[in-house]
Amino acid sequence: MDRTAGLMPARRQPPLRRLQAPGPQLRPVSHAATIACAACGRRYVADRYAAELNVCGGCGHHARVGAVQRIEQLADPGSATSLRLEVAMRDPLQFDDGVPYTDRLERARERTGLDEAFEIATAAVSGVPVVLACMDFDFLGGSLGSAAGEMFAEACECAVDESRALISVCTSGGARMQEGIASLAQMARCSAGVKAVSDARLPYISVLGDPCFGGVTASFAVQADVILAEPGARIGFAGGRVIEQATHDKLPDGFQTAEFLLAHGMLDAVVDRRDLRPTISRLLDLYTRAA
Amino acid sequence: MTTTIETTEREQAAFAAVELARHPARPRALQVIAAAFDDWTELRGDRLFADDRAVVGGPARLGGRAVMVIGQEKGTDPMTRAVHNFGMPHPEGYRKATRLMQQAEKFGMPVVCLVDTPAAYAGVGAEERGQAWAIADSLLRMLNLRTPTISLVLSEGGSGGALALAVADRVLALENAVYTVAPPETCAAILYRDAGQRARAAAALRPGVDTAHEIGLVDELVPEPPPGAHAHPAIVAAAIRGVLIRHLTELEAIPLDDLLGMRADRYRRAGG
Repeated sequence: MDRTAGLMPARRQPPLRRLQAPGPQLRPVSHAATIACAACGRRYVADRYAAELNVCGGCGHHARVGAVQRIEQLADPGSATSLRLEVAMRDPLQFDDGVPYTDRLERARERTGLDEAFEIATAAVSGVPVVLACMDFDFLGGSLGSAAGEMFAEACECAVDESRALISVCTSGGARMQEGIASLAQMARCSAGVKAVSDARLPYISVLGDPCFGGVTASFAVQADVILAEPGARIGFAGGRVIEQATHDKLPDGFQTAEFLLAHGMLDAVVDRRDLRPTISRLLDLYTRAA
Repeated sequence: MTTTIETTEREQAAFAAVELARHPARPRALQVIAAAFDDWTELRGDRLFADDRAVVGGPARLGGRAVMVIGQEKGTDPMTRAVHNFGMPHPEGYRKATRLMQQAEKFGMPVVCLVDTPAAYAGVGAEERGQAWAIADSLLRMLNLRTPTISLVLSEGGSGGALALAVADRVLALENAVYTVAPPETCAAILYRDAGQRARAAAALRPGVDTAHEIGLVDELVPEPPPGAHAHPAIVAAAIRGVLIRHLTELEAIPLDDLLGMRADRYRRAGG
């Protein structure tokens, strides 16, 4: 199976050890410390799975990755510095649907250890200075509220001020309904950030993970110079289930998968996560060292 | 199986405001264009795939100057509503709009967008042809457009489908319009997994344009004589004409570089 269709050269073969069953030299580990691949059920020791970038060596299934782990996966070791942004909780509508929105935010903060659905860091990728703006789906579905929008705009400003390339990794359900119209405005705010990066002629590479929908896809996630997506990622504007219910259209095979969108001309490449860092490195080299 | 959804008075009032904004007799884009502009000449097609009738556009004259008018059209009766897809654009609609915006820039015409859509269309073809890409592109182009821009929310501004035509130097709205992150039905489906709870969602979302005005996404509300624009189309069209000319005159006095700087600044801070 060719996982790297598009502009990228064929993926290198994974080292053989990935394909071997755990040998007798490994000590048995407790069931609790293992992670099963959601697609094929193959079990991994947690540390080993993280070292494999949450990709199953058996079937190639890409599991979700948190924002902090993303930055570790993409940055040169030791190069990432979190952009310490003071992010106040915002509740423009005093939204309360049984559980106050501020309580939901507080819980998301505790659960993820993040202030918001973004984690922003300056870093180097193969020596090229970058700003990494990574979304975390575990923070209220990676939804885009005004604090998250502000963080992305800050990331863009940092890129412009320090002449860094911008790399975003998006996993999001879209706009954050609990912030209503203020959330919609973030699509314009993030676009203004991308405009500043573009005006400064700095490269912007966008990586779309699973899932990526709504106002995130319909703004900064696809305004990049290069749009990459992970294999099997579901990407679109409206969700497939919504479309099926509203239109009674039969959804085509593979509808809204990264591979489907590649075939429809919406992406530059579908890139296996194990090739993401080398691919981004190569692109950054081409875009920042033109001569 | 039918379920009865109990709603509080507050929820009923919130949803009544949404229903007023959806009143079938409210002025539609083509009616406003006919009543408030002169010599409008429709230009059609996105030059890529199709002509999306949910978006209409073309040059017209307003108070002596030529302007490019682009509107989302919902239709006025069952047949025209079907033709215009209830004002829900496909990607082609946004690509036609951006084509006309680029043309306006070339000829130094200001752009006037009339926003009236429940949402961008959700369908297989729309997704295949890049609905999100078309909207994202329109957002960026509106930020970069080197000509004055005004957007007016006529009745319903729903989701990125509305914002795609509303990243302007001035954003105005008729006072009984709604401007929301998504239609209340969609919000209810997302938040409560039940589109039937739309009144509850409407109450929580504060969909009236006054909310958008409070957070600075809308600059000015255009008053409607009671009970609303649906009862006084001629008065409302005259008011729209007046308010558009006033804002255009102000914008035309600002040097273009300053205007683009102010626009970028404004949206850089949008939404708090």
